[in-house]
Amino acid sequence: MNALLAVLWKDLLTEWRSRDRAVAMLLFSMLMVVIFHFSLPGGATTETRAYAPGLLWVAYVFAALLGLGRSFAIELENDAIEGLARAPVDRGWVLLGKTIANLLILGFVQAVTACIFALVFEMDLTPVALELIGVVALGSLGLCSVGTFFAAVAVRTRLREVMLPLLALPFYTPVLVAASRATTALFETGSVSFEPIQFLIVIDASYLIASFILSDFVLDE
Amino acid sequence: MANPVSNQEAISTAPVANRALPISGAVLAVSAAIWAYLAYFAPLDHVQGLIQKILYVHVPCWFAAYAGFALTAVCGALYLWKNDERFDRVAVAGAEVGVLFCTLGLVTGPIWAKGTWGHWWAWDPRLTVTLVLWFIYLAYLLLRSFTEGSTRTARFASVYGIAGLAAIPLNYFAIELFGGAAMHPDNLERGSLGAGMGWPFAVGVLTSLLALLHLVLLRVDLENRRIAANSTATDWDSDEGF
Repeated sequence: MNALLAVLWKDLLTEWRSRDRAVAMLLFSMLMVVIFHFSLPGGATTETRAYAPGLLWVAYVFAALLGLGRSFAIELENDAIEGLARAPVDRGWVLLGKTIANLLILGFVQAVTACIFALVFEMDLTPVALELIGVVALGSLGLCSVGTFFAAVAVRTRLREVMLPLLALPFYTPVLVAASRATTALFETGSVSFEPIQFLIVIDASYLIASFILSDFVLDE
Repeated sequence: MANPVSNQEAISTAPVANRALPISGAVLAVSAAIWAYLAYFAPLDHVQGLIQKILYVHVPCWFAAYAGFALTAVCGALYLWKNDERFDRVAVAGAEVGVLFCTLGLVTGPIWAKGTWGHWWAWDPRLTVTLVLWFIYLAYLLLRSFTEGSTRTARFASVYGIAGLAAIPLNYFAIELFGGAAMHPDNLERGSLGAGMGWPFAVGVLTSLLALLHLVLLRVDLENRRIAANSTATDWDSDEGF
């Protein structure tokens, strides 16, 4: 548990000092909003509001992939990854610490992106803000747990920037399906049924447990 | 994680796959001939006509594809447990042959779908999950070619192969609960096939599984020969060194 807190603190402190990952992810998300505007038939306006939940999750997924790829790439400098792997602690806690750090950084980017979406599509998100935070947090935990796990694999391959999306995206499908359906229901009716929430909890638990158990095989010296 | 199975040991297992190949090839040839005969003379479906006969190719492909992927996951788990390189060779063979059958299924499916449903593609849960699975095992093969170091490659690939199979139920439930409507029949219960269609279907499934077995043996044999050739080349290099 101490290892988890140490890794979490280290990652957040590194990010606070450099701010490179969060800024890059944020800029990327904002650029995606511009791209969505030019690719939608009527532009990103109230007319195309029905597409907003799906597009929001597309922006979240690609921003997450961008950040997750960096989370282990920075450990390659000065062979810091060797130190992480050789530390006399359970590697599952190391991976979990990185997962939570990624989740917090992604959470900041998601909050700003949601505000930009609300502005562009002219949506009032304040009545559903708490529910939206809950759905996004559950969906993002799934993205970050399996994404951090595969980032540890991809960082040891050639063309790691290409490998991470290829490895992770098929595992993002169930998260994306449930989370975007829940967000759509939230935007349209102001409430969300328990079914997608329950499903997201099951996925998060499965991904967290599996990545914890298999961490020894991916975090190597 | 040092690998306890040496190259010399790997070469000593080579004749096993080599000896089984003529037998599996002969059995496959006989089975394929019977299957082709039965499928050709099977009665035509009253509604779908000739295009229904694609069933005898399309569905058996899925049996072989899923068996290949299951072989990859099981052998990956055995590799992680026993740390024996031979399991990894069977795992990669299962994935390659599984992807081949999965591709055949994904090609024959739309041909049949266009004739019966009127569309090349439908976001049916079973179809979508299989497409995701196809992407997973293609990524598995890419992961193997992009990872450096044989032990690390085998370890990463084993983990991904197991995760890939475990992703099937999650993807299936997600798409069935929140995705598109099902177009495929729920199951192939006894009697759901028309009269005279059961035998060509059953022999087709058997033939596809025999083809999977034969191709996996061929691939393992190829890998054994590659290791033997590398080992011989290394010996020559060291001789020249002296």
